[in-house]
Amino acid sequence: MEDTDLTFWRAAVYGSLGLICFLGLWEISIRLHLVDPFFLPPPSQIITRAIRMTTGTDAVLLSDIRISASRVLTGFFLSVLAGVPFGLVMGVSSVVRATLNPIISIIRPLPALSWIPLSMLWLGIDEQQKYAIVFMGCFASILVYTTDATMRVDPVLRRAARNLGASDFQVLRYVILPGALPDLLSGLKVVLAIAWTCVISAEMVGANSGLGFRIWTAKEWSDTGQVLVGMISISVTVLILDIAFRGLERLLLPWQRKVSGT
Amino acid sequence: MALIQLDNVSKVFSSRKVDVEAVRGFSLSIRKGEVVTLVGASGCGKTTVLNMVAGFIAPTSGKVFLEGEPVSRVEPRCGMIFQSYALFPWLTVRENVEFGPKVNGISRKTRKDLARNYIEMVGLTGFADSYPGELSGGMRQRVALCRALANKPDILLCDEPFAALDAMTRQVMQQELLNIVSRSGQTVFFITHSIDEALILSDRVVVMSARPGQVKAVYDIDLSRPRKIDVQLTDEYLKIKRKIWDLVEEEVKASMNM
Repeated sequence: MEDTDLTFWRAAVYGSLGLICFLGLWEISIRLHLVDPFFLPPPSQIITRAIRMTTGTDAVLLSDIRISASRVLTGFFLSVLAGVPFGLVMGVSSVVRATLNPIISIIRPLPALSWIPLSMLWLGIDEQQKYAIVFMGCFASILVYTTDATMRVDPVLRRAARNLGASDFQVLRYVILPGALPDLLSGLKVVLAIAWTCVISAEMVGANSGLGFRIWTAKEWSDTGQVLVGMISISVTVLILDIAFRGLERLLLPWQRKVSGT
Repeated sequence: MALIQLDNVSKVFSSRKVDVEAVRGFSLSIRKGEVVTLVGASGCGKTTVLNMVAGFIAPTSGKVFLEGEPVSRVEPRCGMIFQSYALFPWLTVRENVEFGPKVNGISRKTRKDLARNYIEMVGLTGFADSYPGELSGGMRQRVALCRALANKPDILLCDEPFAALDAMTRQVMQQELLNIVSRSGQTVFFITHSIDEALILSDRVVVMSARPGQVKAVYDIDLSRPRKIDVQLTDEYLKIKRKIWDLVEEEVKASMNM
């Protein structure tokens, strides 16, 4: 039998079923004493815990989410601001590409975590250090994604634009940039997830706020409930950002939606 | 003075392993208002000739002149129509047509009127705000035609623009191009491997040899204008078609080592 795509609502029904079964099995396995709630608290307990962390006197969860998200977004925007123009130039100029490639090849394989010691020595543990970690984790990837996206723009379109009288700058602005945008945006979506990894790691090592910090301190107190609330908060926040990003994509690429819609 | 003058032009493409001589000693001049078609077997260097006129590639030796001036860079006065349409997929039909005037600093209002006129001329008014991805091949090529014309080129270069279209659409497009040419006196340099297409469009047909491409023969086409499709049934048409076909056949066989 051929597998066909489901409508949105049908997919949502199946998805909810899967989720309910998963949470149900989790809850039951603890109620039946198959798993020690100290190691893995049941969903019901996590929910009450989350409610306490958002409404009680020590309501830190929302501010932690806000702090982590703003670190992620600030660092991410800084690296986009620096990486995209550089990547565009690298994409169109083989000289610039050849010059910068060795440097990027050295920086790119470094995990963001490996920048933590240096960044702490340079910047301490305040906000700049978090932005720096995100920047180091994202910049090289953005550069490479942008360069690749730029180089995939159909050369005949560049030719057509120059034939119509466009200058080098106009080709870059009106042809290369919009032509590279679809690939660029899907690359940036991947990098945004990397940015989260960077912030959470940085917060675990040296911070006094944010989701990473909250999870790490909970571990010190063997507070598995708080660890799980923190982890789920990361998932939910990333999901919401991803939806926002998709909205941005639809806004910036109306021509792609129209084409796939017909 | 000729509008376009190719003077003993040759082109060799060099790669690390081999040198390919695409065009050798090619000379041709095109007068203002003329429609000249270059026919030849595939791989004979037709497109290379066109790309040299447009300034996309430089000749290895010889020179291309536009109104007496050597062509040394991409030349906006030579409007190109590509076989693959080369429309900007992120721009609407209207924005595609306005692209040339826009980058050349024409005011918003003027280019809007310009685009409207051209889009109306090819019957796409209802599609002005559509994206190229929503159009059929024939419609896309009409947009490409508008886009080139809106830039008011001195000469229209056509690189097998109708080759990817089905036979019926192709005929319609040929008629449309003929109408535009007869109305505006647009100079056209057209490349095709279809002898019928060459005969229906041209004042002159240049037959190109197999690679390295040289001018093999030039025919003046005196068939009366306006030409309709039924011109293909006249004796005069069949006679000249036979002559050109014999020449082209020789070259096709030569290029296939038969």
